[in-house]
Amino acid sequence: MSAKPSGTNVEGDAPVAESVVETDEATITDDAELERTLGLAGGLAIGIGTMIGAGIFVFPGLAGAEVGTAAMASFALSGVIALLVALPTSELATAMPKSGGGYYFISRGLGTLAGTVVGLSLWLGLVFATAFYLVGLGFYALDALAVVGISIGANPGGIVSVLAVASGAGFTVLNLTGTENAAKLQNGIVALLLSMLVAFLAFGLLDVFGVVGAEATGGTENDRWAALPILSTSALVFTSYLGFAQVATVAGEIKRPGRNLPLAMIGSVLIVTVMYVLTILVATSVFTREQLGAFGETAMVEIGRELLGVGGALVIVLGGLLATMSSANASILSTSRAIYGVSKDALLPRWAGRINLTYGTPHVALGMAGGPVIVLAATREVQLLAEVASFLHLIMYGLICVALVAIRRDEPEWYDPDFRVPGGPVVPVVGAAASFGLIGFMNRLSIAVGAVLILAATGWYFYYARDVSLKGAL
Amino acid sequence: MMTRVLVPVAVLDGGTVSPGLMNLLGTVDVTVLGYHVLPEQTPPDQARLQYEDRATSALEDLSEEFRAAGGAADHRLVFTRDREQTVDRIADEVGADVRAISGVTGDVDRLLVPLSGDVAVDRILSFVTELVGDRDIGVTLFLAGPAEAATERLDEAAAVLRGEGIDVETRTAVGNAPFAALIDEVPDHDAVIMGERAPSLSSFVFGEESERVASASVGPVLVVRNAETPAE
Repeated sequence: MSAKPSGTNVEGDAPVAESVVETDEATITDDAELERTLGLAGGLAIGIGTMIGAGIFVFPGLAGAEVGTAAMASFALSGVIALLVALPTSELATAMPKSGGGYYFISRGLGTLAGTVVGLSLWLGLVFATAFYLVGLGFYALDALAVVGISIGANPGGIVSVLAVASGAGFTVLNLTGTENAAKLQNGIVALLLSMLVAFLAFGLLDVFGVVGAEATGGTENDRWAALPILSTSALVFTSYLGFAQVATVAGEIKRPGRNLPLAMIGSVLIVTVMYVLTILVATSVFTREQLGAFGETAMVEIGRELLGVGGALVIVLGGLLATMSSANASILSTSRAIYGVSKDALLPRWAGRINLTYGTPHVALGMAGGPVIVLAATREVQLLAEVASFLHLIMYGLICVALVAIRRDEPEWYDPDFRVPGGPVVPVVGAAASFGLIGFMNRLSIAVGAVLILAATGWYFYYARDVSLKGAL
Repeated sequence: MMTRVLVPVAVLDGGTVSPGLMNLLGTVDVTVLGYHVLPEQTPPDQARLQYEDRATSALEDLSEEFRAAGGAADHRLVFTRDREQTVDRIADEVGADVRAISGVTGDVDRLLVPLSGDVAVDRILSFVTELVGDRDIGVTLFLAGPAEAATERLDEAAAVLRGEGIDVETRTAVGNAPFAALIDEVPDHDAVIMGERAPSLSSFVFGEESERVASASVGPVLVVRNAETPAE
């Protein structure tokens, strides 16, 4: 075993450090063992379940409104960037199959400052992402009310906020009080969603190529096949790809991590990329850019209605509700793990990682996730929430790639990943450049909000954790 | 080599081992498996940091009591989301042929040993022999099924145990409710020793037979595991 974390924070707490042995089935510490209980299917369900809500049910309308059919290129490009990061993340995760994910790799590879910034921005990024999913959920719940014939009233936006806030509070309370079988439920929901979507997309594609149904009504004349709009749409929809790193946050719980972690991360990115691109193809064939823009967040419902009548609309509304719920719930769970990872290393007060004695759940961390989520969800700012979430994640993704290069250069004796990214430094270097580069194509306001949060995290480091040393420790 | 029995205990949820079971296991080696099943939103490592000391001290006390009852005892502590997976893994790792389902019992005078169905009769009998040792504990062999075949199997088994100097009775049940017939036998006995069966449709629907016996009988159940399948 190599160097240990050292130093103390402003309260005098030191990082918790001990030697552990990782096996395929458990993590073995001095006095206890932690069973690994998630298989490949469980890992894929976390990755896909987190991602699919946004990309398919919220963004087709918004992205289609920006560039039309060219949104296929935006989604594909985001998918490639996600893949470029998923590969280095996989290598690091198989070398350090511990909960905490990106935060853990960066704090060990690049030191405490980068670690603090990423740890806190992972927390905040997940908070923004969760709020974004909840607003999507609110829009779908509104449509669900409309489909069953309940009139919306004069202020639909207000109702979306109320629904988003109520479901945010609901998920937080549900998680606080302990949901025993949520993991199994998650697998079921993801399987149901995937089969619904495959059937829907298959029908949509048949329609697009004129095999069934009327002539396509969408038009391609208003598509914007130009680099800049495609790139800025990529930056917007990148939120659809945040889920693969959530797989890394539960790395400590995955069986046979050397095999299952890379498969789950890379596999989930590939699967959702294909589905997103096909969804856009169907969406933009059915409706024009202007129509998609008018339908907004729930354009998919209108696509379902156009293709399959009221039944189609119902299926999409149901799917949208399930998908945004599963994304929001999975993100709240990841947030509490992110907070725990940071507090274990003394970068946040130790009480942030306490477990409630009544429910056995981390109530402080869940509150730190749920509280700000509820506030943000009330704003209903879909684009801003999505882009800030992407901004904070992209910083982490870029730094993960840098951390891989740094760790490979130092090659500590404990560094022995089961999975190595081929091609030397090419993938991580391109991945880092692409991650940081994509930020440049975001909305000014999103960049400003993200930058303020990063600065605040940096300030926290200098105030609280300057003397903690994590670099190179295992 | 002495047989090892795995005794899983929900160590942080007030799980414990009754004195009767401790005394009964005094003739064999014991591994106490302290486990804690976590809700999904709780990272296992977080739970470990908070609970490890308390759980370890409870396990040390339990192991000490087992040693006082006669056998060698050690302990393992596992935080998990899947109790069954953990029990199987630890049983394989420590080479335990038998796992216990703790239940409430006083001094054990008589054991109920069902031999119905496709179970490893030889392994069960040899464990019963070792467990009883030279103590004054009686055994009731039980079998549900067609009369003649049942009697033959029971008589052979009874002969084996009598040869070891154990007081044996046999019971058969005819009819189509073997599980209910087995539970009817429980009241005159202090513990059940049974074989593990291969997973089946009924175990999938109703839960494992040994677990059902344990919850219906309230007393402890010792489950003789199937011979280890060679590692993959």
